[in-house]
Amino acid sequence: METIAITHSGYEIKRGRIAEITELTEQEKLYRIVLPNDETLDHDPGQFVEVSLFGVGEAPISICSSPTRRDSFELCVRKAGRFTEALHQLKAGDEVGIRGPFGVGFPVVPLEGNDVLLIAGGLGIAPLRSLINFIIDNRRDFGKVDILLGARDSESMLFGGELAYWDKRIDLNFCCSVDQAAPDWQGNVGLLTGLIPGVTLDPLKTIAVACGPPVMYRYVVDELLKKGIPETHIYLSLERHMKCGLGKCGHCQIHDVYCCQDGPVFNYRWVKKIKGAI
Amino acid sequence: MGRPKVAFFDLSCCEGCQLQVANLGEALLDVLGLVDLVEFREVMSESWEGRYDVAFVEGSVVNEESEQRLCEIRQRSNVLVAYGSCATIGGVNGMKNRKLLSDVQSTVYGDKGDWFPVTKTRALHQIVEVDYFIHGCPIHPDEFIKVLKSALAGLPYLVPDYAVCVECKFNENVCMYDKGVTCLGPVTRAGCNSWCVNNGNVCYGCRGMVSNPNQTGAEEVLRSYDLDANLIANKMMMYNAAMEQCDE
Amino acid sequence: MTQALIRKEKLAELVTFLASRQKVVGPVPLSNGQFKFAEVSSLAEMALDYIPTILPPKKYFMPQHETLLKYDVAKGQQMEAVVEVEELTLFGVHTCDLAGIQCLNVVFSDRPKDLHYMIRKNHITLIGLECSDYCDSYANCGMLRNHLPKGGYDLFFSELEDCYMVDISTHKGESLVEESGLFEPVVFEVEKQLQTLRKAKKKIFKSEVPIRYQDIPRLFDETFDSDVWKRLGEKCLSCGNCTNVCPTCYCFDILDEPELDLSKGRRIRVWDSCQHENFAKIAGNESFREERFDRKRHRFNRKFRYPMLRYKRIFCTGCGRCSRTCMAKIDLKETINALMEERG
Repeated sequence: METIAITHSGYEIKRGRIAEITELTEQEKLYRIVLPNDETLDHDPGQFVEVSLFGVGEAPISICSSPTRRDSFELCVRKAGRFTEALHQLKAGDEVGIRGPFGVGFPVVPLEGNDVLLIAGGLGIAPLRSLINFIIDNRRDFGKVDILLGARDSESMLFGGELAYWDKRIDLNFCCSVDQAAPDWQGNVGLLTGLIPGVTLDPLKTIAVACGPPVMYRYVVDELLKKGIPETHIYLSLERHMKCGLGKCGHCQIHDVYCCQDGPVFNYRWVKKIKGAI
Repeated sequence: MGRPKVAFFDLSCCEGCQLQVANLGEALLDVLGLVDLVEFREVMSESWEGRYDVAFVEGSVVNEESEQRLCEIRQRSNVLVAYGSCATIGGVNGMKNRKLLSDVQSTVYGDKGDWFPVTKTRALHQIVEVDYFIHGCPIHPDEFIKVLKSALAGLPYLVPDYAVCVECKFNENVCMYDKGVTCLGPVTRAGCNSWCVNNGNVCYGCRGMVSNPNQTGAEEVLRSYDLDANLIANKMMMYNAAMEQCDE
Repeated sequence: MTQALIRKEKLAELVTFLASRQKVVGPVPLSNGQFKFAEVSSLAEMALDYIPTILPPKKYFMPQHETLLKYDVAKGQQMEAVVEVEELTLFGVHTCDLAGIQCLNVVFSDRPKDLHYMIRKNHITLIGLECSDYCDSYANCGMLRNHLPKGGYDLFFSELEDCYMVDISTHKGESLVEESGLFEPVVFEVEKQLQTLRKAKKKIFKSEVPIRYQDIPRLFDETFDSDVWKRLGEKCLSCGNCTNVCPTCYCFDILDEPELDLSKGRRIRVWDSCQHENFAKIAGNESFREERFDRKRHRFNRKFRYPMLRYKRIFCTGCGRCSRTCMAKIDLKETINALMEERG
């Protein structure tokens, strides 16, 4: 058996340097990563990368910064298993391997010129943040922007400082809700879906994008359809185990579709036809 | 940082798993270069008073004395590894759990049974927290090395939770059922590289069952081969009896 | 390209010639009437009258364990992508297995291409062998029309009265024929014998299930919620035998194997199975195909329905391995029959 060195195999990593780590909550950390020679990742909002630590493995993590920021990118990582626990032990200056970006992200082109309704539940704010900040950086290209955010409680709410900034901007309608309120909480209490009826929108001019835990989607879609938003104007980001990122390994497959290549963002018109997709 | 202090202990067992470690050959030298071996009865006479970074414990707990000893080892260890079927699932020692303890005592010790008080056989995790499991009777040398590497790297080791059949197919063995012999491979968790079947033997289930076996499906399989489901259940009990009452 | 013939008494010499050039792999007998592809140095070691081997020849195209990268973390995340290859001649591959390799070719050459597969494939010479009759009752090659050669080989041998008709399909095959000096030009009599063989096969190989090829994907569309899947789920042990022996199953896991110094190591891929309980699990432990019936249905649809949409072909070759190996006696033909019956 002969061992041949190859390039462009799809499995090679780029050596990313962790420039900065911000502790968001006890469970979530934000990593800012710089590629060698200040190379730009060149991603679309909603895409993901495979993050690698040799000896531990790889995991798909969605990119949570806007591509308008070109010098580095950010990943929000929840401690949820063997790999992410190892990732949480790293310090600024350490290296991680990066493959990607992979997949089809949020529908930036159809969003342009339209009103935008963005809905994030729990950790779903991480990928959606890439789109929100992209819209803010290109604000004149989009119509009315509504952001609805749901979290378990105020402690688990991510990106607190940024949320306050979005809330303050007059060209964004920001609204959030928690499932369980602490005594000092002054905002909405209840499920995220409860916020949808209150949004004022022109259903034919609005495109809705949702990102959150799988259980959330059915309820969110029901509310959106009640508002009169056409099925084709609804986009969902689906979570699956994207192992190879190259549409081969089969772990993220939903029927004939590979979530890593054909998604993770899908139009509801397609999702609706696929049993078990949400 | 110095090399991690590693110790090996045995409770009720045949010490065959220690022998597997001692017999690692060249790999043993590599291992010894990485760790500071402070206690290992089978290969050295020294003992150690300090704290263990990694303690490997073989054998099951069958009396109060060994329970106490295990608790002491746990207290003195940063990482505790249960290795060998006796330690991970109770192993063959568990067979006595299906009998009255008094009968067991009198069978072994005759009329002096009272002199040797015993308890039901338990695996280590039924008493103390166990950080790593190396299943098998005896342990498979490759898996021992894998777990050691995980322990040294501070990473969890995930025991495969699929059937031995997977590895057996990788090795392209003729299925034991096609040879007309019963084999516990289809319900036993993999990780041994189908060691026994590769060498012409059947799987005895020494690694314990997969976490969610399809029991009715398995019984149907046995019926289709004209085999008595009780026969297989009994075979499974050779290694897994200690897991019956406590494995919730 | 063209055709040639080789006398039966010269076949042994041909195998010796091939083995003198590079490693030759062919079907060798095991116990209990079973076979496997293994290295041979002579014709005598092979059993050319064989039923499908336990594992299909995919193990040479995408091995059970395969190195993707070599790494060293002593100075950061350093790595090198590598592919492990050797020159190989696969001798005596049946048409069902050639069809299986063709399916894998499509998957791995689809963008993003899989270089590991593509490079290894280029190092393999494929010599096919025609079946004149069914290997056993598990096969369903007739239904998928894989009992006849449809390309995918360098050379293809059809056994006739006292010689083999050889179809030469590539330059690689052509130069083998020339270099060996063991082949003869085709004569009319032999051509006639081949026609007779094919005519006879037409009578022997019939669709094993009363369904037309073009109607198969629709059947699976219409029976997605069938109780047949529930019944399979009750039987299935999730042992993964069916996917491991399948010539077109290619799912894999990616793992790191550190060396003892924990600095160097290899990133490898290992065959995985959609039948395993944690295959579609995500962080936080949610599984998208938690039930056995759902996993079983997924596998069947990945053979008969989904690849039709993506690759315009059915990914079942008719080799019968899954039915032959299933502990729970889940039979492919019976399953399709049951689906048809239930649909009415």
